Amino acid sequence: MSEAGEILLQATGVAKTFGGLKAVDDVSFSLRSGIITTLVGPNGAGKTTLFNLMTGHLIPDRGEVTWLGQSILGLPHWKIARLGIGRSFQDLKLFANMTVAENIETVTERGSWLWQPGGRPARQARREKLEAVLAATGLAPKRNARAVDLAYAERKFLSLARIMASGARLWLLDEPASGLDPGSYQSFLALLRQQVREGVTICIIEHNLDIVQGISDRIAFLDQGRLLAEGDPKTILSDPALAAIYFGERAV
Amino acid sequence: MLLLQLLINGLQLGAIYALTAVGFSLIFGATKIFHVAHGAAFTIAAYLFWWTTAVKGWPWPLAAGLAVLAAVVFGLAMERFIYRPIQRHEGAFFTVFIAAFGVQIIVQNLIGTVFGRGFVSVTTPLSRSVEVLPGLFVAPVAALAIVLAVVGFTGLTIYLARTHWGMAMRALSENPDLIRVFGLDPGRVAQYAFAIGSAIVVPGAIFTAMTAGLNPAVGAHVMLISLAATIVGGIGSLRGAAYGGLLLGLAENLALWRLDPQWSEAVTFVVLFLFIIFRPAGFFGRPHAAK
Amino acid sequence: MWAYFINLAVLISINAILAVTLNFILGYAGIFSIAHALFFGVGAYTATFVAMKFGAGFLTATAAGMLLAALISLALALPALRVRGEYFVAASLGLQMLAVTIFTEWKSVTGGIGGLTNIPPARLFGFAVTQPEHFLLLSLLALGLIVLVIRALVRSSFGRSLKAIRDDETAAWAYGKNVAIIKTTAVVVSSALAAVAGSLYAFYLSFINVESFVLDTSIQLMAMVIIGGTATLLGPLIGTVLILLLPAALSYLPYLPVTEIGSIQQIVYGLAMVLLMIYRPGGLWGFQDAPPSSKSGTA
Repeated sequence: MSEAGEILLQATGVAKTFGGLKAVDDVSFSLRSGIITTLVGPNGAGKTTLFNLMTGHLIPDRGEVTWLGQSILGLPHWKIARLGIGRSFQDLKLFANMTVAENIETVTERGSWLWQPGGRPARQARREKLEAVLAATGLAPKRNARAVDLAYAERKFLSLARIMASGARLWLLDEPASGLDPGSYQSFLALLRQQVREGVTICIIEHNLDIVQGISDRIAFLDQGRLLAEGDPKTILSDPALAAIYFGERAV
Repeated sequence: MLLLQLLINGLQLGAIYALTAVGFSLIFGATKIFHVAHGAAFTIAAYLFWWTTAVKGWPWPLAAGLAVLAAVVFGLAMERFIYRPIQRHEGAFFTVFIAAFGVQIIVQNLIGTVFGRGFVSVTTPLSRSVEVLPGLFVAPVAALAIVLAVVGFTGLTIYLARTHWGMAMRALSENPDLIRVFGLDPGRVAQYAFAIGSAIVVPGAIFTAMTAGLNPAVGAHVMLISLAATIVGGIGSLRGAAYGGLLLGLAENLALWRLDPQWSEAVTFVVLFLFIIFRPAGFFGRPHAAK
Repeated sequence: MWAYFINLAVLISINAILAVTLNFILGYAGIFSIAHALFFGVGAYTATFVAMKFGAGFLTATAAGMLLAALISLALALPALRVRGEYFVAASLGLQMLAVTIFTEWKSVTGGIGGLTNIPPARLFGFAVTQPEHFLLLSLLALGLIVLVIRALVRSSFGRSLKAIRDDETAAWAYGKNVAIIKTTAVVVSSALAAVAGSLYAFYLSFINVESFVLDTSIQLMAMVIIGGTATLLGPLIGTVLILLLPAALSYLPYLPVTEIGSIQQIVYGLAMVLLMIYRPGGLWGFQDAPPSSKSGTA
């Protein structure tokens, strides 16, 4: 397993309440570079909400979120994305009516004007990025297929391809591999590990404990909006109290 | 004195707007459907009331009851036959909006064809203004409108706070996922929302029939106001929608103190625009993630 | 008969410009604007004003109209789009209503209800376009140019950004797109090009009044785009032809009372919209599914 580096993204005491329900309750959590952190917990534990709070998709009611030491609280989502924080969604949110190539291309086109800055060299760089991502995810044969027409596994890989194309340094993946067949799943994990070797930091929300065991360098356990435990996989996975919560035998 | 008169008129109009806006906000909050055909419910109820009392001469409680029935049936029919099939495919904002818009156009023109495009109204003893103070005319129906608006709104608030379905509707507007967590059926909640949201426009429709009069475009006008009121009040807040409606009704009338009548719609837009620029969350809305 | 066809062709090409530009924001970006008719009007009134007061030629007059439309749409879009899509709908509706009042009341510039008459013919490089056939050439040229511009934009990185925003706005934000600015730019482009149609309209008819720029017009334009097919280049053109031929088609039905033709037209639009949204949201020429994807899913 990799060694943890500097702290990239840090949430301190963040909380979010929805009409009386504490979705995230005083969570302090940091993501260190160079490793794969997994966020686990039963359904409704607040994992996705935590991602939302950390990426600017939601504003926390309380607490602080910093990136490389600088506060990013209140920054619009698109600015946070451009800082290098990439995110995938549980429901993928692919650009359904665009082709695979277009889905990836548009992520590389960061400018908001009618044309992209940088001229020819920049365009060349974007083209190379597109080809590299298509090759890495095995989607090259489907480059002109509409996203809505893809098979399940291909859609999962496209979601990953987008985040890869964004050049993000930190990837927040929300159940990226759920439902994949064993073969695809292995390629997926191999791809993730390859990216970590190339300098990407990953945080995954995952349910499947086998997957969690397979790739985590660190695990954080969330339940009912609270961070119950955080640490190395062996300790957390062998904790009977956490297992009980995870499998539903709650001590009220 | 003119100012006081305009204030009273404004309150009366504001009460009507408040009720209609609350209906729209309730539906949008609970179902996330941008029900731009809401104005059509208003038009249908108003014209039915007018036709049954002024033309057919039926007693007004019966007419009012029929109006409520018609509005509720309309709301439920929209939900069942238009919105639900659309949401089965993909239910995007676009598709829902256009379909509702289409219905609004159909209703407005059908009513125009059947009942004529001119102004019609219902005159009752209640609508005759009484000179309360020198130069100050108030129709009893105005007071009734305000009272009913307050009663209606209080009733709705209690419903939402105390009853099972009411709380479900509130939960849905805060966070759609909570519904699944509590094991409720969003479809049923939607039906209740449409029924209540549509019924609540009826008092306003009846009052408009009795005071300003009706023409087929009245629904569209009310729709614009409901929309503006919901934004001004804050999306997701019923209280906000009510206050928004009140504010817009007051603004529309108080503007007459200095401006010609044809500018009253302009006033609505200016108020709306000011809120969008300076306080997009409205009175009571929650500021969204800075996107 | 020939004159009738030429006339119809000019009107179709002018309306087609409006439909294509509306589709740019409605179909490709998912932005609802009920204010398109007002930008049509701004183009018409401005071009007329500049031509009559300063003797400007067609190109200058049109450019003036485009500039004013761009500025107004910028003022509308920047605050409204920064927040949420629903706000833009409300704001555009309100602005459209306000514009009609201004068009009616600002008599010195717009001629009020009576409108402006005796608009001089369009002058292009010293040549006065007086013949309808020549005007048809001009309007077709304008339509062609605008279609090319829109096509180029749609195929560019900007077009991809628009489509991404339409397909899933949340994901667009998450991948670094400044959605508000991109949408605003699209609205400004669309409105400025709509003003071109206004300028053509004013010079062609030599007479304009507020009746052509009201809410009903915006609705008719929406119908053209939706029924023809969103998010395709051909769709709005088809929609325009269908909608403009509708009154003629209806007049062939003997048992329809003439006074009700307007209402019946609108009922037909309404019905078409509803039925299409339920069964074929992409419109007659579009995709089977409507452009934007479902907004469900956990947040």
